[in-house]
Parts: sequence; structure tokens; C-alpha cells
Amino acid sequence: MPLLTTTKQYTNNALQNNPLHIALFPATGPEGQTQERNRLEYSFMLNSSLDIFEARMPSKTIGHDFGLLHALDERIALYGWLTNTGVKLVVVVDMEGRTAPSPEAAKIAILGLRNSDLTPAFQALQTAYIRLLRNPFYVPDDHDPRTNRNRGSMEITSPRYIKEVERIGKAWYPGITAI
Amino acid sequence: MSRPAQQQPPYEDDPLNPKVAASALDLLLIELVPLAQRITEHLLAREQAILDEYKRSRLFNRTASKVPAKSQASTVTNGAGSLTVAGARGGVIGGGAEDGVVVGSEGKAEVKDHKDGEEHATTSLGFPIMSEETRERVFWRLDGMGYRVGQGLVERFSVNKPRPTTPLEAIKFICKDLWILVFRKQIDNLKTNHRGIFVLTDTKFQPLGRMSVDRRTGIRGAEEALARAQTYLYFPCGVIRGALAGLGVEATVEASSTEIPTATFQIKQKGAKA
Repeated sequence: MPLLTTTKQYTNNALQNNPLHIALFPATGPEGQTQERNRLEYSFMLNSSLDIFEARMPSKTIGHDFGLLHALDERIALYGWLTNTGVKLVVVVDMEGRTAPSPEAAKIAILGLRNSDLTPAFQALQTAYIRLLRNPFYVPDDHDPRTNRNRGSMEITSPRYIKEVERIGKAWYPGITAI
Repeated sequence: MSRPAQQQPPYEDDPLNPKVAASALDLLLIELVPLAQRITEHLLAREQAILDEYKRSRLFNRTASKVPAKSQASTVTNGAGSLTVAGARGGVIGGGAEDGVVVGSEGKAEVKDHKDGEEHATTSLGFPIMSEETRERVFWRLDGMGYRVGQGLVERFSVNKPRPTTPLEAIKFICKDLWILVFRKQIDNLKTNHRGIFVLTDTKFQPLGRMSVDRRTGIRGAEEALARAQTYLYFPCGVIRGALAGLGVEATVEASSTEIPTATFQIKQKGAKA
């Protein structure tokens, strides 16, 4: 089963993007061990996928689901979702998969990934973000490069949000209906 | 008195995506304006106290009398104490506004010289009228609060709706969906000059709907009521501005009311021409 890395970026019409959060999940090595992923490599990948949102914007008037943004090579595929407020959610799927958590799960063969497989993940991520906005200590203006006054890190620091993203990433597999 | 047992309508209470509690919001908005006023006045009093103490220590250098210094200190702590109670609410949100407020008050306090605990002028019904200085800050604070609320609201409630591609569509979303959520009715009239200026008219604006006007004093009563009602328009201004900012439209919002309960909101997009 595939693994995910996820991220979120914030944008406005003046094309300034600010990564709000990046979560990486370990890959499965040759003997079934877990290997950490290279954060820099995935940062580059995610940043470059943002242009695809801009490029497809004129023709994609309805809907938030951008589906498959780009398939990098045989292994890595990027999927995207744009909210009404300009927050972009990008999920990178590693086709190599991970060791199945249970014997029954191991018997399910996954042949390919459909766009609709990722919808529960995006919806869960969006719900987590909305929940973050209901936290009075989270001020959206601090995380927007145009209005930020502190000039410090503009990433999300809320522990609950970070844990929620981890949970979504670990729980997801193709075919899951709701996370 | 007995009532026949009624069927409760099923409430879909989804704790992950709750709905807006409209009546609770109404009551909260009513309280919000005096709250903003109290916060502002405490801040002003604190600034004034600190500045007075500073002036005193400069003027009467070595002969500084201890008694006035102590009374100033006690008012400062009182102000600070009550601030922490009220500050939790406005602290984060008003933090950004406060910087601008503090700079302004320093300049103004040098010119004025008023005592703490001054007598407030009152209207015919006995409500205190705010001074000009306080009014500006209260409006700024309320607008800032509304801004943050607007940002959160638009994120939560535009989830399954189609994305607004033009500013006009964003404003339509506000007129229909947002207004229904927050004030339980739609905006009655939307006018635009197609060059970035929008005028929203609400003939029975919900917060102004239950206000009383003292007609005994004739026209003066109506004017007083309008002036006091003006304060209640600033929070919705902020909500509109926050919602627009969330949808990617930079604009300024002004509200005015010529007659209770009608309210008019003027939205000017950044770079719009009249």
C-alpha cells in the first residue's frame, strides 16, 4: 500500500505561496525496514507542483479536486486539492507501498490509484484545517506573507493539527471511504 | 398549563463541522460593543496613567511626591487586572490593532490632559456617550474582531460551494450564504458600478432590528440612537472584510445607517475607481 507525504500551501492572487505544513511518512526499505524520507527533496517536489494549480486554474472553474497533478516517475504521484480560500493541499503518493498492517489487508490487491481514492484524505485534511481555524490562538494573518508582521516562521505550529495530519497519513489506504 | 408532547426535529450535530449558533451569536454581538468600549477605555486610562507618572517624574525631579505616584500605580494595576480578564478575548485578535492604537494614544495624550474616572456625557436615556478618541479605537477593535471571525467563517462554510472566480461572485456568496448564516436573512439589495464598488443594503438589519429609539425628544432622539447604533455596525463590517480576504478579494468596508433598522454597507475594492 502506498504511503503519503502531505503539505499545505497558502496562496493569494499575487502568487505568493507559503508552506503551512509538511508531513512526511517513512518509506519502506528493501527488507521491510522503514527509511526516513528526504525533506528537501519533497519540499522541491511540492513547491514545483504549485505551478500546476496556477496553470490549470482558468479551465478548472468548478470543483476543488485537481486530481492527479503530476506523475513524477513510476513511483511518485502528486494529487492536489484547492479550497475556496486559496489553501492548497498536496498529497504525494509513493506507489511502492508499505507492509500491510494485517494479513487480511495483505490479500487485497491494489492495482492503481483513482482520483476518488484520495478524496477522503483531502476531506479529512480540510476538516483538520477548519478545526485549526476555530482555535483562537491561530491567527491566519500570521501565516500569510502579505500580512505577517513577526517575520518569523510562518508554518503551522499547533500540535493538535500536526497530530491529526499524522493520523490521516497513517490511516489512509486506497479504497478507504472515510478517515 | 400542559403542552402536547412535540416531536423534536432531528438535529444533525456533527462535532467536527458544527453549525453557527445564531441566537448565541446575537447575544454575543450585543455584549461585544460594550466590551470593546471597556477594553479601549482601560487601555487609554493605563496609557494616560503611565504618561502622567513620566511627566511628573521629569518635572519634579527630586521633589517627586510619593502619594500621587502610588495612586497612579494602583490605577495602573487595576487597569491591568481587568485587562487580563477581558484581554483573553481581544488579546490575540486585537494584538495587531493595539500597536497602531498605542502609537496614536501617545501622540494624543501629550496634547490632552484629562483625569481618570472622568464624568461621561449621557444621552437622554442615560447611556454614556464615548469621547471621540475612544470611538475610533473601539471601531478599530471591533473591526479587527470581525475580521478574524470572517476569515474563520468563510473557511468553514464555503466547503462544498463552487469556488468564486470573480469578486462579484465572492460578494454574492457573502450576500446569500454568509448573511443567512450569521443574520438569518439575505441581503435585500446589491448594487455595483462594475468598477470595484459594491453597495449592500439590508432593510431590516438584524442587530438593529430590536433597537429602541427615544421618540419623546423628537429628531434628537433619533440622531442619538443612530450614533449609538453605528457602533454595532462595525463588527459586521469586519466580518465582511474578513470573508472577502479569505476569498482573495482585498477591500475596505464601511457601514452606515440613515434610519433604523436599515443598514448600508459600502465595499470598495482595492484600486477601484468611483
